[in-house]
Amino acid sequence: MPGVDRPASAPAGTGTAPAAPAGRPPRIVGFLCDFAVDVSAFTAANGTLRDLPHVTLIKVPCSGFVRPAWLEFALRNGAEGAFVCGCPLGDCFNRLGNNLIGDRVVQLRRRFERQRIHPDRIAAIYYGLHDHEGFLGAVRAFSDRVAALPGPVVPAPRAAAARPAAAAAPARPAAPPGAASPSASPSAGSRAESGPGERADGAAPEEEP
Amino acid sequence: MYSRLLARLLSWTLRLDVAINRVYPEDFNPLYYTGGLSNLFLTVLVLSGIFLFLYYIPSFNDAYASVQFITLQVPYGQIIRGVHRYSADAFMIAILLHFFRNWFTDRFRFSRDEPWISGMMLLLFSGFLGVTGYVLVWDERSQLLVAMTGRTLAAVPGVGGWLQSMWQGSSGISNLLLPRMLYLHVGLAVLLYILLWWHYVRIRHPKVWPPAVWTLFSLGLIFLLTGLVPTLSQPPAHPESVPRTLTVDWFFLLPYVGLTVLSPLVLIALAVVITVYGLYIPYELPETPAALGIRDSGIAQVVDANCTGCELCYYDCPYNAIVMAPSPHPGVTKAAQARKLLAIVLESRCVECGICIGACPFEALELPRLLERDVQEQVVAACRA
Repeated sequence: MPGVDRPASAPAGTGTAPAAPAGRPPRIVGFLCDFAVDVSAFTAANGTLRDLPHVTLIKVPCSGFVRPAWLEFALRNGAEGAFVCGCPLGDCFNRLGNNLIGDRVVQLRRRFERQRIHPDRIAAIYYGLHDHEGFLGAVRAFSDRVAALPGPVVPAPRAAAARPAAAAAPARPAAPPGAASPSASPSAGSRAESGPGERADGAAPEEEP
Repeated sequence: MYSRLLARLLSWTLRLDVAINRVYPEDFNPLYYTGGLSNLFLTVLVLSGIFLFLYYIPSFNDAYASVQFITLQVPYGQIIRGVHRYSADAFMIAILLHFFRNWFTDRFRFSRDEPWISGMMLLLFSGFLGVTGYVLVWDERSQLLVAMTGRTLAAVPGVGGWLQSMWQGSSGISNLLLPRMLYLHVGLAVLLYILLWWHYVRIRHPKVWPPAVWTLFSLGLIFLLTGLVPTLSQPPAHPESVPRTLTVDWFFLLPYVGLTVLSPLVLIALAVVITVYGLYIPYELPETPAALGIRDSGIAQVVDANCTGCELCYYDCPYNAIVMAPSPHPGVTKAAQARKLLAIVLESRCVECGICIGACPFEALELPRLLERDVQEQVVAACRA
């Protein structure tokens, strides 16, 4: 499970307070492939899981149908976690859908790291038609992990957009002097430079306006 | 009852997968690579076959002796012959697994009939290739195979005699037989590659090779078998007397075992029924997704205004259902104005899986009955709940 097991190399959240009020389980949206695990016996009419009523499943024709932007859309619209479930890797009914969404979720996690959204809020999991026990276990684990994440789901958007140079500068102490102003524009080169490795030794938590 | 049986078989197949996935990582589950394994064994067969072809002499007097020469005199000849023999069996096992797996998991629906039909033909020709290969050795078994095949073909009403002489090269056993068998063995192997092209042509990124670990393991297993159970010929053929007993290779010569209990005509009728039904499998399903009881989202549609001609959907469509055409006019959105290409969905190939929708970052593809807006409404509703 590449999405779930990847260690959190993310920028730490701005605070330590959990996003959800204590005691309330996190709200989670899951995209579920028609051909993957069959949990119709475990879901209510509106798509929520009986055991985990805070998890809502949305059925899609193939896990590859899911636009990664929809996972972000869910987070920005009030969900605290979003995941995609496809068939086991290698056994996609449509041959490649789950491999594709797996790659796209990995890419989206990388983008989230730059956007100061915790990448563990999204995941791709893979369970076949009859593997509902494994699926429910994985969803429960994902839910617990999301519940433990600190901070607001999405950082205040205006602040991040207004001061990109200030946000990028302390994380890249070795940058040449001339590179400061081009890094303000979100060009491909400057994005590639501020990878997770550099952030790790940057060590400075992102300042909060 | 038949559909319940198929549902049961699907369930068993997937449970077997889950069990194997507990042992291996998913990337290495050999059942996910039956096609790649078949291709691996076919490659081994071709390479070892070229070696054997260089030494083989297709005549009654020299065939057996030349095979013995390969086995006993030529350096590594025994090994190459064994590799050819055992990888043929492995090839048959792999393509049968491939066949049953794709049958039970319904991977022949809608526009996926072309891989299915070409696959059935590959299966038939592979079986026939195996029989001609056993004839080439020209030992007692070969003689018996020729006689049994001839007798079975002769039992066909009307054209039986003609079929038999086509098979043998003349009405009796003549010197034309072995060159004909050599051609049917080598020439049909070339035909396999033409069929393979057809097998792959509608498929984007076919998994042609198994993971490296399984390649090494399969090759090692073949070499191990070659060392443990060396391949040997039966006693040489005698034109005067046809032998009574058949040493059976269960993967290729099963129909000949059937001949001991079935009359030739019944066997041929059975083979025809099985073949025709196999070719009919993709067409016995209802025509439309709605009639099949599965989601009917409609064929993917390109939103002309948004398409930037970036080809991402073209690369990701698993069935080659999207082609890029020169754009007749610029798009409407800013990103689409400088486009050179426009994506076009070929309706006859689309299976409505929606993978192109996930591939498109420009919102230029939609499933007509499951729009992005619909999904977003569901997401919002889920978040409000």
